[in-house]
Amino acid sequence: MPQCIPYSEALAAYAPCEFRQPAADQVSTDELLRDFHPDHIAGSMSPLRIGPNAGDTCHTELVRLLQSDARIDEADLAGAETLETDVLVIGGGGAGCAAALTAAKRGARVMLTTKLRLGDSNTVMAEGGIQASVEKGDTPQMHFEDTTKGGHHHVDRPLAAQMVMDGPKVIRWLIQQGMQFDVDKYGDLLTRRAGGTSAPRVVHFRDYTGLEMMRVLREAVANSNIEVLDYSPTVELLSNEDDHCAGAVISSLKNCSYMLVKAKAVILATGGIGRMHLNGFPTSNHFGATGDGLVLAYRLGAKLRDLDSFQYHPSGLAFPQHLAGTLITEGVRSAGAYLLNAHGERFVDELQPRDHVAAAIIRECRQGRGIRVSDDSVGVWLDTPGLELRTPGILETRFPKLLQLGRKAQVDLKLKPILIYPTLHYQNGGVVIDVHGRSTVPGLYCIGEVTGGIHGRNRLMGNSLLEIISFGRRAGRHAAEYAHDRAHTRGSIEHVSDLRRTLTLAGLSMAHEGPLLFPTYAKFESDSDYDGLHRSKRE
Amino acid sequence: MTALNQVLLHPRQRVGADFAAWRDGGGGEGLRMALSKTPEELIAMIRDAGLRGLGGSGFPTYRKWEFLAARRDVSEKYLIVNGNEDEPGTFKDRILLAETPHQVIEGAAICAVACDIDHIVFYINPDQEQALASMRAAVAQWRSSDLYTALVEHLRRPLELRVMPSSGHYIGGEETAAIESVEGKFPFPRHKPPYPAESGVHGLPTLVNNTETLANVSHIIRNGVAWFQGLGQGAATGTKIYCLSGDVLRPGAYELPMGTPLQELVFDHGGGMLVGLKLKAIFTGGPSNTILTPKDLDVPLDFESVAQRRSALGTGAMIVVSEGTGIVKRVTEYVNFFADNSCGQCPPCKTGTYYISRLLSRIDTGNGSRSDLDTLVSLCQLLPGAGRCHLLDGAVKVVDSSLYHFGGEYEKAIQPRNGR
Repeated sequence: MPQCIPYSEALAAYAPCEFRQPAADQVSTDELLRDFHPDHIAGSMSPLRIGPNAGDTCHTELVRLLQSDARIDEADLAGAETLETDVLVIGGGGAGCAAALTAAKRGARVMLTTKLRLGDSNTVMAEGGIQASVEKGDTPQMHFEDTTKGGHHHVDRPLAAQMVMDGPKVIRWLIQQGMQFDVDKYGDLLTRRAGGTSAPRVVHFRDYTGLEMMRVLREAVANSNIEVLDYSPTVELLSNEDDHCAGAVISSLKNCSYMLVKAKAVILATGGIGRMHLNGFPTSNHFGATGDGLVLAYRLGAKLRDLDSFQYHPSGLAFPQHLAGTLITEGVRSAGAYLLNAHGERFVDELQPRDHVAAAIIRECRQGRGIRVSDDSVGVWLDTPGLELRTPGILETRFPKLLQLGRKAQVDLKLKPILIYPTLHYQNGGVVIDVHGRSTVPGLYCIGEVTGGIHGRNRLMGNSLLEIISFGRRAGRHAAEYAHDRAHTRGSIEHVSDLRRTLTLAGLSMAHEGPLLFPTYAKFESDSDYDGLHRSKRE
Repeated sequence: MTALNQVLLHPRQRVGADFAAWRDGGGGEGLRMALSKTPEELIAMIRDAGLRGLGGSGFPTYRKWEFLAARRDVSEKYLIVNGNEDEPGTFKDRILLAETPHQVIEGAAICAVACDIDHIVFYINPDQEQALASMRAAVAQWRSSDLYTALVEHLRRPLELRVMPSSGHYIGGEETAAIESVEGKFPFPRHKPPYPAESGVHGLPTLVNNTETLANVSHIIRNGVAWFQGLGQGAATGTKIYCLSGDVLRPGAYELPMGTPLQELVFDHGGGMLVGLKLKAIFTGGPSNTILTPKDLDVPLDFESVAQRRSALGTGAMIVVSEGTGIVKRVTEYVNFFADNSCGQCPPCKTGTYYISRLLSRIDTGNGSRSDLDTLVSLCQLLPGAGRCHLLDGAVKVVDSSLYHFGGEYEKAIQPRNGR
């Protein structure tokens, strides 16, 4: 990267401003994305050679994961405890909880397994809010059009239509569960505007909407008859003779043993891949976001889509180093904060869709107009003092979490701007599903970030919180009915032998194992020799 | 590896229910030639060719035919083409029925000429939907074909061709159970004697042949005895469809010369073991038979040679298991299969299979004792032959064979472990 302006020099030249016109963009969004978006870095992609998506290209690290060998074989399961349930939900985030609650309401026996603890997820990281067309001047149609346009028209239209129509119902359901939202003095929901949208539509609670959502969902799960297995990552799914999904193999980190869970329907809600740090980017994601669901579903024959498309959130913290990648809500920009380069210029309209803004930030830094702290840390200013100047008191009332982050970084955000740089934020693509959340494998449902199609190739702010509840509830309902009409079938990991056959015949290496379960830099204090804990026994 | 000398699975035969394509590939020639021969000549050819029952028994086919042909005192005779195939690890008949239906029908038609048959029943497992659909389409084409007209003219009476879904029970594949099914009853096996050739469907002489056996017939008639004998390796004749499954790289159905060494099937055709796995044992003929171990890899896969190794070729299913697979666990699964599929007619079988399965589960889960193992061993001596059919014998055989080859694993499983 060319030399950017040093931090001290840029800070000396900085002054909070009343109003500044954004620079007119000389290039189109398409050109900007092609030249500067990380999805388009030359040489970072490879083709998939096996599985239902053979021939598609995606990020080389993801190819390695999807073509990895299984962590277990038949011998590992000798003597494993076997549990039975109607619906097994894998993932303890917002989508998993919503699905589990709905399935349980429908009379199914539900078991929820999560890699760490219930609520350890990206849902709690969601700050900005949740989109739903609840305002008078707004309609689901407009929401749909914003979503498809934001997704560069690669959206699965029936899925997106379903989601936007569910919007107001989702908000009502969440309020019924006890979730709080910011309201005006009459008790009406307050909304703000997300980047790339045509109306203010994001309902929110301060700047920790996801945390509040998870709080009520977690309590609801605790007060239900859902059986929760925590510290239990899933290492493999079970298939039956007809290649349907028939349960999962769980690694119990507490007991250091494998468990078989036989289920009539399985709902995968395992989230995204941020912790794979594609292209070396920092991530805003939770520790467990290692793409486990993608590889589990792919091995069972589920079709995936848009695997080459990821969202880099424009405003990840760039400095200090140990907080790099931490998310700063888009809400700050939608409330009117500017992005400024080292020369104090507003180089982009901050309310463009996320991929556009992220690419613009990368352009500034690559072309030498960014601010440099060290060789690893460059970024642009997020002009919080300017926002405070124009709307006094807004940071205190609406962005307490951001101010707290500023204190951690030893910056008073009311006086000093903070450095931001795009951070790996969201997996746009994923498992192909239908309007009930069914994947192409019977008995396997997928919801949340692990799926693809709803957001096309770029997601709008606030649509993910909407999606997880909308599709979580749909999948929960459908899975409960599906399970009701069926008996348990004999599940095995026979598909793992098929995978090994395919890998050998394709001449592919079996040196890597998936799912990853934990990021490569994870360290374990336990000195147990239990395979299910270690990231990979072959490394 | 491309298989040479493919007969039944030759691409010319694998045309599905396309009658015209099958005729273009030489189909129907065998029947034409059979119509110009006497029944005695036909049966002599089958005898000299050394064709044997390929459904698992290995019984010489001509002897069944001869017996049936000799019955001239009856008004009608039945032929049941047995396609009930339901044993884990066996998947050859469904391929023949689905992909080469005309070849099977032609074989059955030649048999009708040789044995003076009136009714041919294609008895097919209803779970194999493709086989059923393909046979139905093929039989419809036959009924309006010149071959059928010539056949009926030769027999000088109508010949019934009927496709019948079996009940789908495993036991329905036993020959007397199949007869019960054809009579419209539950497939309970009958006492033998009387054998089906004496008194079968509705008391009439009945021939029950496996699908693969009949598929061979037209080729023997068309190409001659010497050709068929030349196909086999060593003393064996003809080809065999081996069903290879388990921990090998390329599982599948392989038509190879009868008598192909096991080694060649597993390592050349099957591509060898899956990466990192070591061969531990091979369950031959599906679970109702016995176990071969790595030292038997040189055995030629024909009926006599395999029998010399305390095992049996059976249906030709070869289930390969690798080190790391618990033999006791695997045998338990197979015995459970028999316990689930016992028709419950004969008390020794009904309670015996269940009891063996319980004993095995106890031993496998580490809860077994010395006396459990002793009971198991003595049951293996007591039970065989106590049922009307061979279901019970099959269940015992696999246990007995595993005790012989892997007795050590049973011993280990009943040893007290730490903390108990």
